[in-house]
Amino acid sequence: MYKCLLILIFLISVNTNLLSEDNFEKGLRIAKESYESTRGYVDSESDQLMILVDPKGNEVIREISGKTLENDDPNDGDKSIIFFNKPKDVEGTVMLSHTHVNDDDDQWLYLPALGRVKRISSSNKSGSFMGSEIAFEDFSGNDYRKYEWKFIGEEEYEGEICYKLVSIPKYKNSGYTKRIGFTDKLLRPRMIEYFDRKGELLKTLYFEDYQLYNDKIWNADTFKVVNHQNKNKTIYKWINRELNVGINKKDFEKSSLLRLAD
Amino acid sequence: MIYIKFLNITLIVTFIFSFNVNALEYKLYGLVQPEFSIFTNGDGKHHQSKNNYSFFTKGNFISYLDERDAKITISVIARYDEKDSERRYIDFQKLKYEQYFENYTFKIGNEIIFWGVNESFNIIDIINQSNLAEDMTGTKKLGQPLLSLAYDNNYGTIDLYLMPYFIERKFPSKNGRPRLALEVDQNSITYESSSKEQKLDFALRYSMVYDDYDIGVAHFYGNNRAPQLDINPSTLKFNPHYTTLSQTSLDIQATKGAWLYKLEALSAKDGNERHLGVAGGFEYTFYGIRDSQSDLGLVIEYSFDDRNSYPFNNDSVAALRWTKNDINSTSLLAGMFIDMRGNSNRFIAEYEQRINNNVKLFIDATFNGSIDSQDFTYAFEEDSVFSIKLAKYF
Repeated sequence: MYKCLLILIFLISVNTNLLSEDNFEKGLRIAKESYESTRGYVDSESDQLMILVDPKGNEVIREISGKTLENDDPNDGDKSIIFFNKPKDVEGTVMLSHTHVNDDDDQWLYLPALGRVKRISSSNKSGSFMGSEIAFEDFSGNDYRKYEWKFIGEEEYEGEICYKLVSIPKYKNSGYTKRIGFTDKLLRPRMIEYFDRKGELLKTLYFEDYQLYNDKIWNADTFKVVNHQNKNKTIYKWINRELNVGINKKDFEKSSLLRLAD
Repeated sequence: MIYIKFLNITLIVTFIFSFNVNALEYKLYGLVQPEFSIFTNGDGKHHQSKNNYSFFTKGNFISYLDERDAKITISVIARYDEKDSERRYIDFQKLKYEQYFENYTFKIGNEIIFWGVNESFNIIDIINQSNLAEDMTGTKKLGQPLLSLAYDNNYGTIDLYLMPYFIERKFPSKNGRPRLALEVDQNSITYESSSKEQKLDFALRYSMVYDDYDIGVAHFYGNNRAPQLDINPSTLKFNPHYTTLSQTSLDIQATKGAWLYKLEALSAKDGNERHLGVAGGFEYTFYGIRDSQSDLGLVIEYSFDDRNSYPFNNDSVAALRWTKNDINSTSLLAGMFIDMRGNSNRFIAEYEQRINNNVKLFIDATFNGSIDSQDFTYAFEEDSVFSIKLAKYF
């Protein structure tokens, strides 16, 4: 009888826990599951093409190639190297980043004209990446630990029922006050609206060309960003992306920058 | 020197063609750049012309071999100048073969090696010779022939350099502008070392990253890159004399958010005399000024040296760098150099922006303010200049 009572109390409390998942907890859970579904890629290699379009329709092309390394430590960020190819005046420049979840990233730039490796400040996370409508902080926009989350309902987006999530950056120098996004039932972010420091709608990021990599990880191979204020557009495409290629971990250290640079 | 370069090229060309050229993975890129300068004080102190045109070009060839475990790099620069014969040259900045092993890198050939953290006062940077015909501040370098071995592990990197051949400092000719008070007689060079330019120079550097700190400790022993300039009373020219230098140096950068703190220090025995130099400062960047994409960076540096003869023995620089972060990478650098001892000052401004994907425009200006007659820059007091450069990249 005493045992039964305990089990009963246990069952009730479990039920209450499930029932009491509020919209903040639900938002965080979906964001966390979405982030975790992209993990386990080990490392990746890709060419990246950016098309910058101004309101008159003039196009400018940027070309880079990159490597990333997943951090074994789940409490620390990933490492990446970017090789700049176009525009031609920055050809040969290389950027190495060690990202961190709750701290500034470590970044080094190899400047070919001077043959110099320079440690640079990484606190401009809200700054534009190569003159595009994408900010540095947008690249880690799927890391649930960098935001406060709230689930605000389900809505149809492009014919699919999606979770609608509000996220507020924890980073105090973020360029945004708020993001509102749709994540589909496969846990893939589909669209995010960004609100600037004044709280006004700044831009919309559309995640397109989803591909299933290595039978387990969905990656959007195109980011399309429309800036509602300056009317510029950026189309960012990943080409020849490969996951789990077996890149030497040492490539992601400062001492290897001179090896990898031209 | 020409013989060595020729041998280098022959070796590398032979090497390249001993592989199947079709299977060769390579990159080729560079630039051509016409330049035009107008001197705002009219004709110069030494009867130099009030305007000048020049043409600069750079080519890079990089080829990966042995499944990317080896690399050949050729980086060559050349300039033609209307007035200054010392600015008509070709230099192999890089002409090297590298082989990579798990923890070792072996390198042979011409190379550019930069040491230090400062923006302006690069006092510890010693491997490469400065090309003063390009730029009087000494930031433009000439390729140095060397053999190097690097070893790295989790605690840092050790680089060992052997330099079998010395490259003489390049100075502007008598028609160059700016130039020194007297012509430099490159046919009357003397050395402290009896091996002269064939002296085997040696350098060792240990560098590491610890948290927010990038740290380097180095030692160099060899021909001093900066010669003493002694007036020859019969020719009234400067005769360069290269002493033997033994220099130990330290460089540290602390990166704390938007702040970069920098320090370079050295103790060196130059000939029979020991000297001490310290230079450092900070860099701070205001990001997204006035809610735009623009950044504004502030750089302040100071240099001290206990030699009276050293040009930057009590000097400072303050500069602002504005980067628009637009599609054309527009940026403007404006700065002021102050010699605190002689009360001399100099202003510089550098503007750049991309015209299209392959063309970039540079406009540089230098204005000499008051210059103390005791300062070595007194020779170019009347050489305030506007330069325009247009680079076409390929």
